[in-house]
Amino acid sequence: MPTLTIDGQQVTVPEKTNVIEAAKTLGIEIPHYCYHPGLSVAGNCRMCMVEIEKAPKLAIGCFTPCTEGMVVFTNTEKVKQARKDVLEFLLSNHPLDCPVCDQAGECWLQIYYMQHGQYESRMMENKIKKSKKATSIGPHVNLDQERCVLCGRCVRFCDEITKTHELGIFGRGNREELDVFPGKQLDNRYSGNVVDICPVGALTDRDFRFQVRVWYLGVQDSVCPGCSRGCNIQIHYNRNRPHHGHGRRVARLKPRYNSHVNQFWMCDEGRYGYKFVDAGDRIISPMLRRGAELQMATWGETLAASAERIRAVNPSQIGVIAWPQLTNEELYLVRRLFVDGLGCKNVSFSVPSKKDGGGDDFLITADKNPNTRGAGEIGLPIADSTGDILQAASRGEFKLLHIFGHDLLSSGLDQPLVESALAATETVIFQGSNSHLTVDRADIVLPSATFAEKSGSFTNFEGRVQRIHEAVPPLGDALPDWQILNRMARALEMGWDYQGTEHIFKELAENVAAFSGLSYCVLGDQGELLGYKPTNEAHIPTEPVTTVII
Amino acid sequence: MESEELQGIIDHYAGEKGALISVLQDLQGVCNYLPEPALRQVSDALHVPLSQVYSVASFYNAFSLKPRGRHHICVCLGTACHVRGAPRVLQEMERQLGIRAGDTTEDMNFTLESVNCVGACALGPVVVADGGYSGQMTARKVSPLLKTLGTSHEENQNDS
Repeated sequence: MPTLTIDGQQVTVPEKTNVIEAAKTLGIEIPHYCYHPGLSVAGNCRMCMVEIEKAPKLAIGCFTPCTEGMVVFTNTEKVKQARKDVLEFLLSNHPLDCPVCDQAGECWLQIYYMQHGQYESRMMENKIKKSKKATSIGPHVNLDQERCVLCGRCVRFCDEITKTHELGIFGRGNREELDVFPGKQLDNRYSGNVVDICPVGALTDRDFRFQVRVWYLGVQDSVCPGCSRGCNIQIHYNRNRPHHGHGRRVARLKPRYNSHVNQFWMCDEGRYGYKFVDAGDRIISPMLRRGAELQMATWGETLAASAERIRAVNPSQIGVIAWPQLTNEELYLVRRLFVDGLGCKNVSFSVPSKKDGGGDDFLITADKNPNTRGAGEIGLPIADSTGDILQAASRGEFKLLHIFGHDLLSSGLDQPLVESALAATETVIFQGSNSHLTVDRADIVLPSATFAEKSGSFTNFEGRVQRIHEAVPPLGDALPDWQILNRMARALEMGWDYQGTEHIFKELAENVAAFSGLSYCVLGDQGELLGYKPTNEAHIPTEPVTTVII
Repeated sequence: MESEELQGIIDHYAGEKGALISVLQDLQGVCNYLPEPALRQVSDALHVPLSQVYSVASFYNAFSLKPRGRHHICVCLGTACHVRGAPRVLQEMERQLGIRAGDTTEDMNFTLESVNCVGACALGPVVVADGGYSGQMTARKVSPLLKTLGTSHEENQNDS
């Protein structure tokens, strides 16, 4: 554990820590392009130069391990001049096309030029023209070679993380270019990450390009609902330019650092899987079947009708198919309402998917639901599988089916069975966010909020409970599922009065053994494992991590 | 080039670490350039990613990714040669061969290149043709030089 001095402040760091990381712990930022904590050290951008006492020359912070008694200066005249010179080289062939560049606002050439550059241009020569401008090199990524600073982060990502080796730096000297091998594509399941780690506008996201300027984006921490891994993400939402981006409120998802779950990365499936949030098929109003068709209704009417139908039948005649896309809090309320409250015994939550989830040995899991583990821990299913419930329904044993979210009619379930179960059941209540075939068969439709529109928590497959937060308000009249359940319980005169998700989570932690000891404070922004045992030391929530560039 | 022949080159370096450059050099020696199918084969056989093979192949000037002509002409444009009229020599070469520096004639006879110094400044302007140095070049000496090269080529063909 060497102790060193950086800019007059002493710090003790673990063995083999480099100077950039050591400085970071003191809140000192050493500018850099090629260094990334999730990748090997390349040391080619020369931006992270620091002055080290007794060393003859400046040294690069990324490749210099801390040693005992080292004295480092990050802000001397010599260092400042070196940064300025490096920037001048990096920008010598740069097109300076910031007004039309999608990276503008989160570009480290811009940021460092303003902080460390500010020189007068001395370029008299013509700039070298590179061969690829705004070319798509894969399904998700666009390449602009002339903006590239050749840091090689993306190349190392494809070599070290995905091991797919699509990208390379070809040529030599000022004609060096980042590219794929002729005829090949940057097409792997994690390709979107190269856009995140690109410090400049060379690699941009085809999905996000020109939708909205980044300075109009708001940021909210959340968890990806795409599979049971629960990668930590940030939701970047269009906060104050609703007319930009064709009404897309959620503009993009970015991975958020969590050493226990996804490190710095997320998969493309999750990254681009948020489109349903602002899709045209969102259900924006409660609906009641009047005659042959579903008609818009108010929440009051709809909940009264639901309560009336629920009251009219025996609890043994109610089947509930919950949804592992619901949060822990909501699943707990499903149990409280239907099982503890009404005494219903037929509650399931998992519905087989039509196609294989295609898990891999990195982040992607086969289970495409973020909260299957949570549903299990909370005590669902109570009795039977979804198949058994539908069997019973098709035999006419149920008078009422309450379906959350699932599109049973395009699932991996036996389709004739689903058909006959829906047909044989008197009342079908559907509670979900997006319209599909199953919704058309419902008698009462309760529109719910998506993951981006509500708060709560998910439990990933390893048992890590992680919080999600509301980034945008629910669309139209939709409500978070916990609020719908809360209102329904009140319509059933169960005396519920939940004030918020934290209130529900507190009760959940008291009543479900696996969650005991957990609270929103304990979960923090990195989550905590089930079966958490508080230690004597005070729990110190970790600092929020900004993940745009690390 | 047949893939068996390339396999022979690769086998020659079997088990050696960092054999990539040696294999590419031999391949360049046989084919005069590095054909794309051969690069793919090298990548597979040496278990080196294609992007890395391409990085190496495009980095070194000794490797060419385009087919090269039977005769290789390098016009030196270093400082000494430059001030003594090398640009006019290059211009004349380009005019007579009908190609730009870096290109190859359609009949695959000549490849013309410019270099930045061959280390024979005292002889400048220098042209290196098929490894032979011609010093004190002028535009007027271009035509005889090309003719000599052309003849040697025909002789070679007659010999074989």
